[in-house]
Amino acid sequence: MTPGSAENDRSFIDEALPVFISEAQEQTAALEQLLLELEDRPDDSELLNALFRCAHTVKGSAGIFGLDRVVAFTHHVETLLDQLREGRLALTPALSTLLLRCNDQIRQLIAQARDHADDEDPAKMAERTALVEQLQQAAGVAGQATLVPADPAHAAAAAAASGMARTWEVWVAFGAETFRNGMDPLTILSYVRGLGEMAHLVCDSAAVPPLDRLDPERCHLAFEFGLQTQATRAEIESAFSFVREDCVLHVLEPGATTNDFAALIEAMPDNPRLGDILVAAGVITRTQLQQGLRAQSGALAEGLPAPLGEVLQSTAGVSPLVVSAALKKQQKQRDGGPGPAGANASAADEGRFIRVQADRLDDVINLLGELVIAGAGAALLARQTRQGTLIEANAEIGRLIEEIRNGTLQLRMVPIGETFSRFRRVVRDTAGELGKDVQLEIVGGETELDKSVVERIADPLMHLVRNALDHGMEPPEERQAAGKPAQGRLTLSACHESGSILIRIDDDGRGIQRQRVLDRAWERGLVEPGVVPDDEAILRLIFTPGFSTAEKVTNLSGRGVGMDVVKRNIEALRGTVTLYSEPGAGSRIEIRLPLTLAIIDGFLIGVGRSKFILPLDAVVEVIETGPTISPLDAAGRGVVELRGQVLPVVSLRNLYALDCTAPERSSVVVLRAGNRRYGVLVDQLLGQHQTVIKPLARMFRSLRGMSGSSILGNGEVALIFDVNSLCQLAAEPQALLSRALTTSTEGQTS
Amino acid sequence: MARKSKTTPPASAPLVLPAELTIYTVGELQPQWLSWLGAMPVGGIAQAPVQAAAVDQIDAAGLQLLLSLGHALEALGVRLQLAAASPVLREGCAALGLTDWLLQHSAAAAAPQGAGT
Repeated sequence: MTPGSAENDRSFIDEALPVFISEAQEQTAALEQLLLELEDRPDDSELLNALFRCAHTVKGSAGIFGLDRVVAFTHHVETLLDQLREGRLALTPALSTLLLRCNDQIRQLIAQARDHADDEDPAKMAERTALVEQLQQAAGVAGQATLVPADPAHAAAAAAASGMARTWEVWVAFGAETFRNGMDPLTILSYVRGLGEMAHLVCDSAAVPPLDRLDPERCHLAFEFGLQTQATRAEIESAFSFVREDCVLHVLEPGATTNDFAALIEAMPDNPRLGDILVAAGVITRTQLQQGLRAQSGALAEGLPAPLGEVLQSTAGVSPLVVSAALKKQQKQRDGGPGPAGANASAADEGRFIRVQADRLDDVINLLGELVIAGAGAALLARQTRQGTLIEANAEIGRLIEEIRNGTLQLRMVPIGETFSRFRRVVRDTAGELGKDVQLEIVGGETELDKSVVERIADPLMHLVRNALDHGMEPPEERQAAGKPAQGRLTLSACHESGSILIRIDDDGRGIQRQRVLDRAWERGLVEPGVVPDDEAILRLIFTPGFSTAEKVTNLSGRGVGMDVVKRNIEALRGTVTLYSEPGAGSRIEIRLPLTLAIIDGFLIGVGRSKFILPLDAVVEVIETGPTISPLDAAGRGVVELRGQVLPVVSLRNLYALDCTAPERSSVVVLRAGNRRYGVLVDQLLGQHQTVIKPLARMFRSLRGMSGSSILGNGEVALIFDVNSLCQLAAEPQALLSRALTTSTEGQTS
Repeated sequence: MARKSKTTPPASAPLVLPAELTIYTVGELQPQWLSWLGAMPVGGIAQAPVQAAAVDQIDAAGLQLLLSLGHALEALGVRLQLAAASPVLREGCAALGLTDWLLQHSAAAAAPQGAGT
């Protein structure tokens, strides 16, 4: 930020900075992915080019926001990448590590910019200087004045900027009717050549549409050229007198400063390429351009008259234009750049995406929730009036609301692959640190789920992946001794399964040694010493608070704060986590998450006067109970015969001690939880219900089997069941269950 | 005005630029070139050869049409490759600041003077 920047300027920057930050974060993420991909294909020139573009974009846009530290550092990275791109250097693993560390550094710098941390820790500065030295060494440019761009245009640029050459800079965009009016830009430019010497000439053909959309008699051409001449402004302008009516002409005096160019760019926000063209023409360097843009906004903010060229009249409100021009340019570069998943956005994709702030979408979804509730209320009232047409109209509205709901929720769905691919780096670094050789495989990255879920699952996943690497994976020698390939394999996969998403982390490591888990549990008093629970329960102990089997505490995991926190975080998302393990062969962790946290299709049921909601996706079928039901135990559990098979059932009335008498007839709702089925005994079936999920109030948090609450059309509150934890509850042994239920009751009263 | 523009070329044959590439011919050239584009094998080629030896009259409208063809090809992932660009075409490109563009879109073999193909 220039010292001259005043409040006004700052507010513009503040407005646009978050956009820059988020884009820069995307770019650094893409950089990392590309670097990792490059390790497998070190000679892929497309990857190298994409890599360079990413770094270049970060540097360019950071310059616009005056983030000098980012610019200066990224410049060094860019220099090295350029050498790689041109084949003067080959990518070695050491170089790759260096670049990854540099990318982290860029990320840190961007984070500093986000937090407006202007003061910097000297240790961090030293770290950065060390990185720069390594970069320079690698690029073989140590000792050179590296901040000076090495492009040949630089000399001319310096001359132009210092005002030594009598070079006029002209920008002209010919009007659409030029050809039809019998004018030929070619002739006009030839005439201009007669006035002096044309230092450079660049044709901007970006506005020329592809052949199928071109009206060949309309002119879409624009030019930027430098003219060394003794001629006056009037003489130069007169060259264009025949087309003056409908062309856009800007003539900059000789000795124009970078500020003037900046002003020119600002005056033409529709043409974000102008800056690039000026740079390509060698008129100015990119650094100068950025400085100019910066100084310009600073000067305006102070209320000084901006040193604009004569023909530039636009002065007011320029800064937002710079910003918008800059952002547009950035957008363009980004569209051409690699996608976060490494896929190149094809030309056809351009313009198919719009960027929307997540909180705006959240607002819409919140409103939608209210609409669903209000709609249900209106439908209820309509039914009470018993007017057929009104009921019908309300049903139609309800149907439309449902469609809007689905459409809107779809907007928030993002593929999980982006989160997954972050782990490439984690696995690479962590495995390296631990002296293990691990290959990460990603399956089903295109599986979509709600953005808010994706964001909140990243941390638990990170922990689980690290755990798998640290505890699960053996060192190469141990693996070979066990007759396994030296390289371990870690698989992250995702798929949809009956209305939820299933994320799996598989490793082919040593698996969980049950005896060690048991020993630890006895030692910690988690299990009565000597008592041996069944296999599943032993594995579940790992998720118990305060449990850790690591013999030495590494800085990766093993602090014993891990798995229980992971489990809690996943449960907070209404998800479940299950561990499977085969000693010697590996482990599998399955995480099941709801697709969305906002609205679901529910199945409304009644027990006594209470209403509950079951996720409709989990409902398999509904049966009337006959005499086949077995007597229930104290917790309300029993079995029922269903088509010759035994189905466990649980009575909600007994399980939750609902104070009411059982009706004569009741129904069993058959639910699917993972690969199990069980039935829930209920009094009334109230049908499908669009359910807006509200969090559970604090006093209900400790209640097991519930995941949220919802407001019904008549204002009543219904609790939403979590089928997975309800299933666990239904399957738990009597003793444990009664203990669990008493603790939860204690939790409520305390 | 002489009209030497040629008839629609057969599928996958190189496009041959006419002698006159100006505002007077762009109107009739456009549909011809479009049908040439349409006849191009899908996904088969990376470069689309265009014979440019015959061009002896050119203006900005003609060059714009050529640029537009280039954009259309690019959208198909194909690079326009001008073979044996005539002196007139080169001068026209130079006059419009398209020297670099011409270089990028020239077949390497066509760099020396070559009126024939």
